[in-house]
Amino acid sequence: MKQSVQQIFQRSLPFLACLLAAGLVVVLLNGLPALAQEQPSAPVSEQTPQAVTPQDALPAQMPGAATDSACKLCHADLTGTLALPSGDELTLGVDLSALDASVHGQHAAQQLACTDCHADRQRYQYPHQPPPAQNLQEYRADVAQNCERCHVSSELHNPGHLQAQDKTNLPNCVDCHGSHEVEPAAAMYAAPIAFCRTCHQTFEDPALAAVHTEVVASLDSPEHNCTTCHSDTVQPVDAQCKNCHSLLTSWVTLESGEVIDPHVTPAHIDASVHGFRDVDGKQYTPLACTDCHRNQQYTHYPHPPLEVANRRELTLQREAICQNCHSNIFDQTRDGIHNHALQEGNKQAATCFDCHGSHEIQPPDVPRERVVATCGSCHEDIKEQYVTSVHGAALLADDNPDVPVCTDCHGVHDIVQATSNEFRLASTEMCGKCHSDVNIMDKYNISTNVMETYVADFHGTTNVLFARESAHQEINTAVCYDCHGVHNILPATDENSQIMKANLLTTCQQCHPNASENFSAAWMSHYEPSVEHYPLVYFVNLFYRIVIPLTVGGFALFIASDVYRRLWNRLRRRKGQS
Amino acid sequence: MQETMPRTGQDTGHELVAQHGAAVEQTAPARQAEYHRFDLWQRVDHIMLLSSFTVLGLTGLPQMFSTQPWATWMILTMGGIETVRIIHRVAATVLMLGAIYHGGITTYKVFVRRVRLTMLPGWQDVKDAFQAFAYNLGLYKHEPRMGQYNFAEKAEYWAVIWGSAVMIMTGFMLWNPITTTLFLPGEIIPAAKAAHGGEALLAVLSIITWHVYHVHVKRFNKSMFTGYLAREAMEEEHILELERIEAGRRQIPPDPQAVRRRTMVFVPVAVVISVSLLVGLYFFVTHEHTAIETIQPPTTEQLQAANPPGEQSFTPATNQALDQPVGITW
Repeated sequence: MKQSVQQIFQRSLPFLACLLAAGLVVVLLNGLPALAQEQPSAPVSEQTPQAVTPQDALPAQMPGAATDSACKLCHADLTGTLALPSGDELTLGVDLSALDASVHGQHAAQQLACTDCHADRQRYQYPHQPPPAQNLQEYRADVAQNCERCHVSSELHNPGHLQAQDKTNLPNCVDCHGSHEVEPAAAMYAAPIAFCRTCHQTFEDPALAAVHTEVVASLDSPEHNCTTCHSDTVQPVDAQCKNCHSLLTSWVTLESGEVIDPHVTPAHIDASVHGFRDVDGKQYTPLACTDCHRNQQYTHYPHPPLEVANRRELTLQREAICQNCHSNIFDQTRDGIHNHALQEGNKQAATCFDCHGSHEIQPPDVPRERVVATCGSCHEDIKEQYVTSVHGAALLADDNPDVPVCTDCHGVHDIVQATSNEFRLASTEMCGKCHSDVNIMDKYNISTNVMETYVADFHGTTNVLFARESAHQEINTAVCYDCHGVHNILPATDENSQIMKANLLTTCQQCHPNASENFSAAWMSHYEPSVEHYPLVYFVNLFYRIVIPLTVGGFALFIASDVYRRLWNRLRRRKGQS
Repeated sequence: MQETMPRTGQDTGHELVAQHGAAVEQTAPARQAEYHRFDLWQRVDHIMLLSSFTVLGLTGLPQMFSTQPWATWMILTMGGIETVRIIHRVAATVLMLGAIYHGGITTYKVFVRRVRLTMLPGWQDVKDAFQAFAYNLGLYKHEPRMGQYNFAEKAEYWAVIWGSAVMIMTGFMLWNPITTTLFLPGEIIPAAKAAHGGEALLAVLSIITWHVYHVHVKRFNKSMFTGYLAREAMEEEHILELERIEAGRRQIPPDPQAVRRRTMVFVPVAVVISVSLLVGLYFFVTHEHTAIETIQPPTTEQLQAANPPGEQSFTPATNQALDQPVGITW
């Protein structure tokens, strides 16, 4: 090999002499390397390295003579290799066509010369000395330093790698971009994962391997690649959470055999009530993952595994999250029936998440039908009754704003046990609130004196008195829903209505089992007695309205006359005495 | 008073003397005399009526005006509506017992003892009333001269008879609406309630005006408790009766043999009727329960949380999916 070099040298001596002269000039001019370094590097984007021109950093070349003609003369044809001390073989041949096709070749504004990169004038002065590098890696590192003559430093360009704790094996420019055949960066991004994989062929942490494999497999778009997670800069915790959880696809199997889907779609959070919101003109940005998942164990990666036996336990465990912000509502739920059931050991009782969801929370009552769907997801039978009722049908038909949904009667967070004395006792006021409201009832041509007529009757009187006695009083008299139905309330005109005349007796018999046909007419059906409706009652009332004042008035008149006469008599007697 | 004012016509054990006025003792000064007016049976009768009527009024009117604050206050003070209703019903039972009692003693006196029917109203009472009114206005010179029971007392007595009948009948309907509507239209129940309330108001207002004025205000008349009325009151209100007593026109005691014979008839008949009335009363009071018994509330249902909305979209497709090994370390 040495022989062939000498032969080439001898044959091209005159030409080389010229080259030497030119090289001298270059070397002289290169005596200002400090100047080249100190020139501020143009702001170079790593995405657009082709914008860089060597003139920015390099000294002017002698016009008319290619400075690297001599280099190419030899290296274009060389097929041999140079053995480095480590035993690595350094290929000496240079594929000039590859060089020409590279970004430094014909694509560059001005084609680079060999010595633009192999700039060490001591070493590349002919005849070269063998490279001082001990192995190929050192050699490449040495060459790569020359990149920074034009391009930004590796600290700026590729800080990610430099974060590695083990710095013995850091890649340099050449390792990633190649040397003579250096490609445009865009070409590398065409298959970024494969590109990283040229070095990162294995994943060493067995604890994370499975997850990593899954996440990498989910990197399916050009925007998603290794740098999605392994970016050059340290990502905020929130981004780290989302990076992983938006890419996870497989379920976590719990002890119980149930599975949890760890997948979270950030877009769903953004679209939820916790996402981008405009409230009263104030713009809100989405909550970060760690705003809710505040536990320290979630602030770094990898976080510990879920320590729950089953899904329900996880849901119950997570419920405490909500009270961090919604403490007032959370406190209300402590008094609610669901929490009471939970405290009594019914783990199926609804928690925040069961009604509101978790990552995809939407306004709970928009549209109002959503409330029914939410409650109905557990209380299915009741929902089925409700949707056929006069209230439910109107809600489903045209989102009627006047009809009650579940929460209007039962409350929202501090839901009362509907079979409790308190609920029963207060229920008439609850129904009466809407049914006494002329503004609402006039639309449907429904009477608003239902409360008055109810209270005037035995049932209502008792109810009112019980309510005034104590809110906790147990009552056995009928309240609105005992007769009209609870969730299946129908208009009185409906043939299936419990209060339809034909069905009324059966309704009465719920409480008065021995009631006969006539009995149901003892209830005046919310009518005020009049000549048309319940004339007997009307006339009895009329009778006493006349008789009482006449009788008592007559008595009073007689008494007044008697008092008058007695005073008169006494006065006369006194006169007589005097 | 008893010591300073010797009574006349002390109950000598001779019932008729005690019942129908006593002869004035010749030695006692006329102005100080007291005349026997009501026997023990009548006084007991009055006590029963007085107590039951008062309690009925006190517990009934607040129920009639239950939504008024004063009525609510009264009901709550008396122990709540359920207690008030119980008290009202106990008092009603006492009133009805009193009615049976009154019927019994009155029938005994009328049929066995053949007493004068001094409580029967007549045309004379109407004339007396008008004369009294005209006298009060100065249109008539003299007060009416009235017998053992004057028009005011008769009006009140018959009002009580009428009122009690109405109240007992309507009360039965309200207490036993299911039984009532077996025979009568349903409308009778609210009508009975209206009548019960109206009649009650009428009765209470009448008592407050008419009765209170005549026996408490005009003159504090204790005769219904002591059994005796002072001569002055007798002169003014029962002058005819006073004259009768002073003229010694006492009722001749009936023939003891006839009394015994009539008693033999009266007692079994009275016992049968009283017992059937008491049985009726027992039925009245105990027959119906649905109005006062508590219907048990429905049992609570146990529910399972369905897939919560947040996880609803997620359902493992196959069992295999459950077994599939998934890294759980993150």
